Amino acid sequence: MKTRGKQAAAAGGLAVVGTLAGLMTWGGVAFAQTQSQLTSAYVATGLPRLDPASPAWANAPEIEVPLTAQAAVLPILGTPSVPSMRVKSLHDGQWITFRLEWSDDTKDMQATAQDDFRDAAAIQLPLDHSLPGVCMGVRGQTVNLWHWKADWQNDIDNGFQDITAAFPNFWKDYYPFAVGDPPFRAPTDFTDPDARRFIVGWQAGNAFSDPVRVTPVEEMIAEGFGTGTHREEQGVLGRGVWADGKWAVVFERPLVTSSEMQSQLRPGGTAMMAVAAWNGANGEVGSRKQISSDFRLSIAAPAGASAVTIPPAPRQNMYWVPVTVAVVFGALTIAAALAGHLAGAFRRQRADTAR
Amino acid sequence: MPKVFNWQLNREMEYPYPGALPKRQFAAVFDLNKCIACQTCTFACKNSWTVGRGQEYMFWNNVETKPYGGFPIAWDARLLQMLGPQTWAGDTYTGKTIFEAAPADRAVLGFLPEEMDWVHPNIGEDETSGIVERGMHLTIPHKVWNFYLPRICNHCSFPACLAACPRKAIYKRPEDGIVLLDQERCRGYRECVRACPYKKVMYNGLTRISEKCIACFPLIEQGRQTQCIINCIGKIRVAGWIHQPADADLESPVDFMVHERKVALPLYPQFGLMMNVYYIPPVHVPLPYLRQMFGPGVERAIETYRAVEDDEQLLGVFLLLGSTDKWIDKFRVRDGQAFGYDSKGAEIVRVPLKEPTYVRPFFDASRNVYRHNIT
Repeated sequence: MKTRGKQAAAAGGLAVVGTLAGLMTWGGVAFAQTQSQLTSAYVATGLPRLDPASPAWANAPEIEVPLTAQAAVLPILGTPSVPSMRVKSLHDGQWITFRLEWSDDTKDMQATAQDDFRDAAAIQLPLDHSLPGVCMGVRGQTVNLWHWKADWQNDIDNGFQDITAAFPNFWKDYYPFAVGDPPFRAPTDFTDPDARRFIVGWQAGNAFSDPVRVTPVEEMIAEGFGTGTHREEQGVLGRGVWADGKWAVVFERPLVTSSEMQSQLRPGGTAMMAVAAWNGANGEVGSRKQISSDFRLSIAAPAGASAVTIPPAPRQNMYWVPVTVAVVFGALTIAAALAGHLAGAFRRQRADTAR
Repeated sequence: MPKVFNWQLNREMEYPYPGALPKRQFAAVFDLNKCIACQTCTFACKNSWTVGRGQEYMFWNNVETKPYGGFPIAWDARLLQMLGPQTWAGDTYTGKTIFEAAPADRAVLGFLPEEMDWVHPNIGEDETSGIVERGMHLTIPHKVWNFYLPRICNHCSFPACLAACPRKAIYKRPEDGIVLLDQERCRGYRECVRACPYKKVMYNGLTRISEKCIACFPLIEQGRQTQCIINCIGKIRVAGWIHQPADADLESPVDFMVHERKVALPLYPQFGLMMNVYYIPPVHVPLPYLRQMFGPGVERAIETYRAVEDDEQLLGVFLLLGSTDKWIDKFRVRDGQAFGYDSKGAEIVRVPLKEPTYVRPFFDASRNVYRHNIT
């Protein structure tokens, strides 16, 4: 009874959101309607890991997903700048990986100056795949959000982007409890717990302020616009590369996880999915974004008809060495985190949602 | 959009949320005639709250020189221009507030300052309204003028930052009306920075989220006034609880100055935020400029201020400004003295209305000398 009530509430909420979605037009652009279905093809070996440029992607099925400016809640995006996104997915029965590609003339990998906004992309997967996740979910229909951020990628690729990212050699004479000598740098000179108190976002545990990152992808849950909440346990890896006026970003995660607050993806099954993009140079942040409507993700059964052949990697591509190390490290980290937090995960996530 | 009543405009106005006034409201009064821009308040605030990495150019309290100074640059002039004509019919505002004038794509009219707008915290310092020509200083009243405007977050009753945040990361405390920004929920969108007309929410490029004045709530919770207030060497400031006009407590120093004597006025009330830091306008500044900045009550406020010599009650409150670190809940003036009381009614401070003076004879017979100083 309880579950049925919850579903009814979710369906009612979705009816409202669906109406909203129907009304979502801005600047004469109709809300995108797509019948596309994305197939996540099965590969027995050689799943490309954290490499959007891998030749393994060449044979993966691709769909082009139209994007429209978010216009359901304020603030809305007045002038959209990303008309569509090309989406691919592969899996090997254990891990699933997605590749999003879109055109962007500017590479915005900083959010340091007052008027700097980052490029970003996101994937939305509802927990319950029998209902679409429209508009970041509704109460009773929780969605998972995987949010890749270009400045986080920059932190990982080039070290934490201190104020010096915008102003080289920037420092002042004295910071309380900082160690070392000028020029001071975060986080290395601010590791004293008392020094952290003066970097408030970091002290408060806000993921945006964390100078030690392991992934450029933030995993969140949401039950509607404005409710996106950082998950205590993070389990999505990713990597984004900008080249020739295009971003290519990959996201990856084990298909099945142990948390009830993570979207479960099963080989041979289907899921609902949506994507979103932000162009920092156009001032896009938060709800100023372009979004797709929900489309169906079909996850091929192992060795099914849609299995694709991975072309052999060029031998000179030494990138695989660090990538393999990173993937193994990432997998171990996630495994440890999942094992460690399994018991209390559900209760904690319910608390997060309520907040 | 819900309607709320804004007494500073003497009318209802649109606001994204239904009005929910706090149980009591933090407020302060700053006497602009006494500010000398020494920036002691700025340092007191900065040393308390914004000394960290990423906060180098963040000043929750600043003092700027009007008419040209501003932090960030031209924060008020730019918005006044965007807002269009701001007309009053008597005490009623007939123009649009920044909520009513909001463009279709967002909740509040505003702009996001650029990086370079924030890097000159005291630009225009001491500049006057015009060129001072030879001999001009001999003419009274002076033809050119300037004044200093100290500013903190106004902890508005209808905050624009709160209205603009799509994540509800900004909230107003029901116990004292202090507006706070949740450092866990904020995601650095800067919608609040764009929306706050006073530009008192600031983005921290290191933590990549925004921060704002917290009205020194840890001090207020202990019955003390804020750092910027208690460190003011000019004694131009006082904090207190403010009520709606109908509920005004005439023993509260702030209520008395704002609602009873109407000598302290809101800053740019036409923006529509029903802000809670009040200013005693500078008496030497041309009225059209002051009317734009403080609304239609300016002439009366200046008249009242000039006549303070004959107003023992008001004089008493003025003398309580900067007289104590403690929170003055109520005041009384009697027997030539002004008394301040805490929330339990205990006396915390008393100041004489006239400083006692002693005059000694010019000639000191015991030492057979004439005194240089006899008072």
